[in-house]
Amino acid sequence: MGPADGPSCRKGKVNGSMDERTTYRQYAIEEYVLEEEPFYLPVADEVELFTAAYEQKIPVLLKGPTGCGKTRFVEYMAYRLGRPVTIVRDVTGQDTARTGLPLVTVACHEDLTASDLVGRYLLEGETTRWIDGPLTRAVKAGAICYLDEIVEARKDTTVLIHPLTDHRRILPIEKLGQVVEARDGFLLVISYNPGYQSALKDLKHSTRQRFMAIEFTYPPREVEAKVIEHESGVSREMAEALAKLGEKVRNLKEHGLAEGVSTRLLIYAGKLIASGIPPRRACQVAVVWALTDDRDVQRSIQEVVNSIFE
Amino acid sequence: MNRKGFSSSFDYLEKELASLSPSLAADFRRALAKMPPVWGPDDIVRWAQEGLELARLAWRAWEASAEYYLASPQVLGLLGSVSFWEWARHGRELTSVSSALAAAYYRASPSTLPIIGPEGLGRWVGLGRHLYKGSWRSASLAVQFFEHSPTLFGVMSLAEASVLVRFLDVLCDRSYDLASHCLGVAPHVLRPLQGEDRLAFLRFAEELAAAGWADARAYLERGPGLLAQVEPSQRARFLSLASRIVSEEGRQAFAYFAEAGRALSQVPPELHGHLLGLAEQVASNSPVAAMEFLKSLPRVLPRLKLSELGDWHREGLQVLQMNQEGGEAYFRLESNRAEEMLDALSSRLELNKVSDVLRMYCKALTGADVAIHSAEALAQKGIGWVRTETATTEGSAIFLPPAVDEFEDKARNFSIYKVYATHQAGHLEFGSFLFRFEAPGNVFPTLRLEREQKRLQEREASDGHRQPLTDMERFFDLFDNRRLAADLFAIAEDTRIDACILREYAGIRADYRLTQVRELERRPPIEELPLVEAFMENLVRASLGGADHLSWPASLMPLLKEALAVLEAVQKPAATVEDAAEATIRLYELVASLPNVSMDESQEDWQNPEEADTAQVSPMSGAGQAEQQSQQIQGEEQPYRSPQPVEFRGEFKPELVQLLGRLRQERQAQQPPSPLSPEQIKALLEKSVEIDLQDGGEQDLQQSSNLFLTNLKRELAQEEQEAQKDKQRDRRRTTGLSTPDPSDQPLAPEPRYYFYDEWDFRAGDYKPRWCRIVEYTVAEGTASYFDQTLNRYSALVNQTRRQFELLKPELFRKIKRLLDGEELDMDAVVDYLVEREAGVSPPGKVYWRRNKVERDVAVAFLLDMSASTDEEIVKHTRRLTPDDFDDDPRKYFAWWMSRRAQELLSPPKRIIDVEKESIVLLIRALETIGDTYGIYGFSGYGRENVEFYVIKELEEPFGERVKRRIDKISPVRSTRMGPAIRHATYKLEQVDAKVRILFLVSDGRPQDHGYGRDRTEKEYAIHDTHMALLEAKRRGVVPFCLTVDRYGHDYLKQMCQDVGYAVVPDVESLPSRITQLYRELTR
Repeated sequence: MGPADGPSCRKGKVNGSMDERTTYRQYAIEEYVLEEEPFYLPVADEVELFTAAYEQKIPVLLKGPTGCGKTRFVEYMAYRLGRPVTIVRDVTGQDTARTGLPLVTVACHEDLTASDLVGRYLLEGETTRWIDGPLTRAVKAGAICYLDEIVEARKDTTVLIHPLTDHRRILPIEKLGQVVEARDGFLLVISYNPGYQSALKDLKHSTRQRFMAIEFTYPPREVEAKVIEHESGVSREMAEALAKLGEKVRNLKEHGLAEGVSTRLLIYAGKLIASGIPPRRACQVAVVWALTDDRDVQRSIQEVVNSIFE
Repeated sequence: MNRKGFSSSFDYLEKELASLSPSLAADFRRALAKMPPVWGPDDIVRWAQEGLELARLAWRAWEASAEYYLASPQVLGLLGSVSFWEWARHGRELTSVSSALAAAYYRASPSTLPIIGPEGLGRWVGLGRHLYKGSWRSASLAVQFFEHSPTLFGVMSLAEASVLVRFLDVLCDRSYDLASHCLGVAPHVLRPLQGEDRLAFLRFAEELAAAGWADARAYLERGPGLLAQVEPSQRARFLSLASRIVSEEGRQAFAYFAEAGRALSQVPPELHGHLLGLAEQVASNSPVAAMEFLKSLPRVLPRLKLSELGDWHREGLQVLQMNQEGGEAYFRLESNRAEEMLDALSSRLELNKVSDVLRMYCKALTGADVAIHSAEALAQKGIGWVRTETATTEGSAIFLPPAVDEFEDKARNFSIYKVYATHQAGHLEFGSFLFRFEAPGNVFPTLRLEREQKRLQEREASDGHRQPLTDMERFFDLFDNRRLAADLFAIAEDTRIDACILREYAGIRADYRLTQVRELERRPPIEELPLVEAFMENLVRASLGGADHLSWPASLMPLLKEALAVLEAVQKPAATVEDAAEATIRLYELVASLPNVSMDESQEDWQNPEEADTAQVSPMSGAGQAEQQSQQIQGEEQPYRSPQPVEFRGEFKPELVQLLGRLRQERQAQQPPSPLSPEQIKALLEKSVEIDLQDGGEQDLQQSSNLFLTNLKRELAQEEQEAQKDKQRDRRRTTGLSTPDPSDQPLAPEPRYYFYDEWDFRAGDYKPRWCRIVEYTVAEGTASYFDQTLNRYSALVNQTRRQFELLKPELFRKIKRLLDGEELDMDAVVDYLVEREAGVSPPGKVYWRRNKVERDVAVAFLLDMSASTDEEIVKHTRRLTPDDFDDDPRKYFAWWMSRRAQELLSPPKRIIDVEKESIVLLIRALETIGDTYGIYGFSGYGRENVEFYVIKELEEPFGERVKRRIDKISPVRSTRMGPAIRHATYKLEQVDAKVRILFLVSDGRPQDHGYGRDRTEKEYAIHDTHMALLEAKRRGVVPFCLTVDRYGHDYLKQMCQDVGYAVVPDVESLPSRITQLYRELTR
């Protein structure tokens, strides 16, 4: 691990080689590779679409409500499209070929600046030193760069990705006076949730027209039941009941709820049930209370829960 | 004894009498002739002499004397000699006071004395004497008293009469006319009351009169009627309770008495004792509260059981002990605490309390927009449903009973609602109304088409066949007995729905089973029913899961068994509504073989089918055999009646729902006029058994079918509107923010209503839903006002705009010298290095960051539009006095003319004008900096009618319409600030902004009808306003009060304790001040 990884990495650890002082695992951002295949059940042809986009180097926009599996999908695809990785900067010499494509995930927020993505100068001794930001690293490493909730980022930041998304596939680094060409495997994936963002925070057209879009919705009851069963470890029947709850609660979207219940929450509920929490209670804390603060809506959902679970 | 002799010896006396009045002597003679023969000559002489002396007592005393003589014969007979002289003595005393009084006394005596007896004589005279005060009016009252005495004492005792006299006495001080009237009506009105009550009633009257004489007449006339409503044994108690209030409330007491009496009349009489007992407990703390308690009973009792009432009462007592005003408000139901207690204690569950929850619950279950309404509402619509207490659905809405009070606690009552709603939602979720005639079922092979063919062939000969309107109608056309078929279909479909629900919703099973068991217990005895009905009853019971509740003649057992198997099949997971229809055909075939006759119990062996297995004797089995059996049954065929309805399933009218569905579709598709002709509807009405019309007599079928059609059409139109509203409400709930939807603004300017609590500082509690805000959008005038104002103030406009432009923040401000940031600040880095070289340990603040500064302000201006803003602004110019004209009228006239001319040119400015001008300037300024702002006005009269005028909504863009509305701002009525502030706060809460400001502009203190104990009380209004401002603060709104009332400091100090306020003493400077204040407020 180089010293260049920012303050948080000072007593860092490198993947694999164990140090007796640390028990956690830490990766350089572009080296993070999924080792095991993430569980993902395709609903439609999204896997084929993504594969095609990756081959054709078309940036991908994932649209869909929260917790419907966008991130999981990207992880799954990164793993699926994986191939031997050569790490750009030789950090430890452990450049073993591994499965999986490196996946650089950046959660966007409203204070995300261009430097946060591209890189910045740091003070070091008497001089300054440049460090690459996550986007630069992904470009160099040929990773999938996943910008989550892109609309949250400032507009001036969003513009930065434009040269990467068309035929040029370059990243100009203004402060260094450099241009980085994207490596072959590099793919830009962004996600956004058209549901709750207000009109103010819509994606600019010049941005959105650079991506192909895959729309996600919550999976159908049967698929969702399988997902819940697999992820939470509850019985088949319980998973089906949870999926049924999901379907019913989603009926309330726009009628008291801004967003339907996410698969993620249903899985949480399932996990709580698997740990022995009574189903009604588990759904109360993981679904009802998590979804809304409105008393009436809470009560309504609780009644649906009570109807479904004994 | 020789009377003749007497008469001659009275010559002298007669002469004397005649000298006083000629008729007197004649009267004497007549009386003498009638005198009973009990006296000797001495007594007679003494009697005669008495009369003469009487007549000589005063100028017109001969009148009394005449009455004395005339009454004597009867009185002597009544009283006997001893008492007679006493009677005469009283008379003489009265005569010495007033001869008219005495005359009345004598005259009334013969008919009064038999009632009161000799022993009552003294008191009677005393009462009359008491009323006489020396004036002629008092005399006439006393005379009236004597004259009415016979009737009066016919009704009441002397003791009662003495209270009445005391009551009259009090009235006399005020008005003799009133007293005289009361005396006149007293015997009549008091007659209906019992002895004891009458005394208590009169005592109360006396106290009441002392406190407020004006109500006495009303009380006397209406009181007994009110009292009669109270349970007889409790009347005295009620009156004594009422009289306790007199000392406190004075003349209000009668109103309390009347209202409490009316309230009691609405409560079962057997409870009166208990309730009065509770009231007495309250009365020891506050008689007013006790009366309030009684007054509130009609509203409280339907919601509480008697035991719960005790708890509610106890809580109120506690409040009362801590704070009298609070307790009184509690019992008046004007406190949130009382409402909350009521709600907490009451086990009764009202639909409107849970309809939102149920609506979303059903929406979740079905995925469709389902409205929840009271079943009463559906019945009122007159579109075929008539029962007001049962659950049902008409395809787009679910109707539930208005209240449930079956169990002791709310939770279990709610579970009833839930079972009802789930069943109805089940019809929608599992597609009861999606029946398609031609679609096959999953369980049964299809028989429908075949059957239809057969019937069509049969019918072709007889009449032209009409095309059915709906699939359901087409299906029911397959049967001769439509009612029977409809009942069978209902049973089959309900069975299927229940099975689906129990399979899908494990959590509701327990409640569902419980409800089914309760229904089973309510079923009518099976064995008493005629055969077909008993068969149906068995099916209903089986459908409720009551296999062990069945009973059926053993000989016909195979028939029932087959039916049960059919019913069993509908419960399979794959079964659809079409299967229920197929089941109906099969069940119908089975029933068709049965005659509807009463079975003799002794003849037949009724068995449960499960036991029947072993008891089966006949080797032959199967329905065919049973059919043969049934044909042998003898008896009189009875008309078929539908089975008793199952409560939780409510009414199921698939045919009608499909019809409505079809009409709805046609509406939405904007098809040209509905192809349903009145003839078609009429034909439908004639054959459909589902459609019950309230007044559906045979003769006016035409009329009612027309009515039905209009009702239907109106209903569909309304439905669309309501669906819109529901959606809006939900959307507001969902986002609670920004995005104004164009459809949110209704086109019609219909007022919108909102309810707000009001703070009662005495009670220390809120009065629940006390004020009703009526929201109007101000009418539009011309836009020229706006532009003219801008022109007039162009200098000020420019000035303020420049000042406001300074407020506009830079979008991104660089913040330097940070420990962490976007980039290194090279200047800071150089400094850092220099300092380090110099040996100082420098702070590592060498970064800069761009800080996004957003001005995110929403402000609501709330203008006082009360009548007082109509006042002209008094200018501080010297008024000309007459002296200035040197008494020269020409000078004065010239001055007056010039003033008039000036006023015509520029009319005097009113406060409201200045307010308007300020608003114009503000708008200009606000548009410059882009703050979100709304402009509202308020006024109104009374709590029910607080008017809230919208000039510009917060999210509404500024434009011509707003300009035109400003023109129309004008003074209206009172100033009830509290609710207006609360409503403005609510509006601000709907907006997404970091800073929310409520800017109140008024011209004086809050004032309104009923905004305080009386007109002059100011405390109450100020406290409520203060509380409203605090509430706003608590909700993250910054309130600010600006007043042009020069003396505003007095109350603003109290009203705006922790809230910013300003007084603009010079009204005309308001436009510049207001912009300045706003700038400071938001900086």
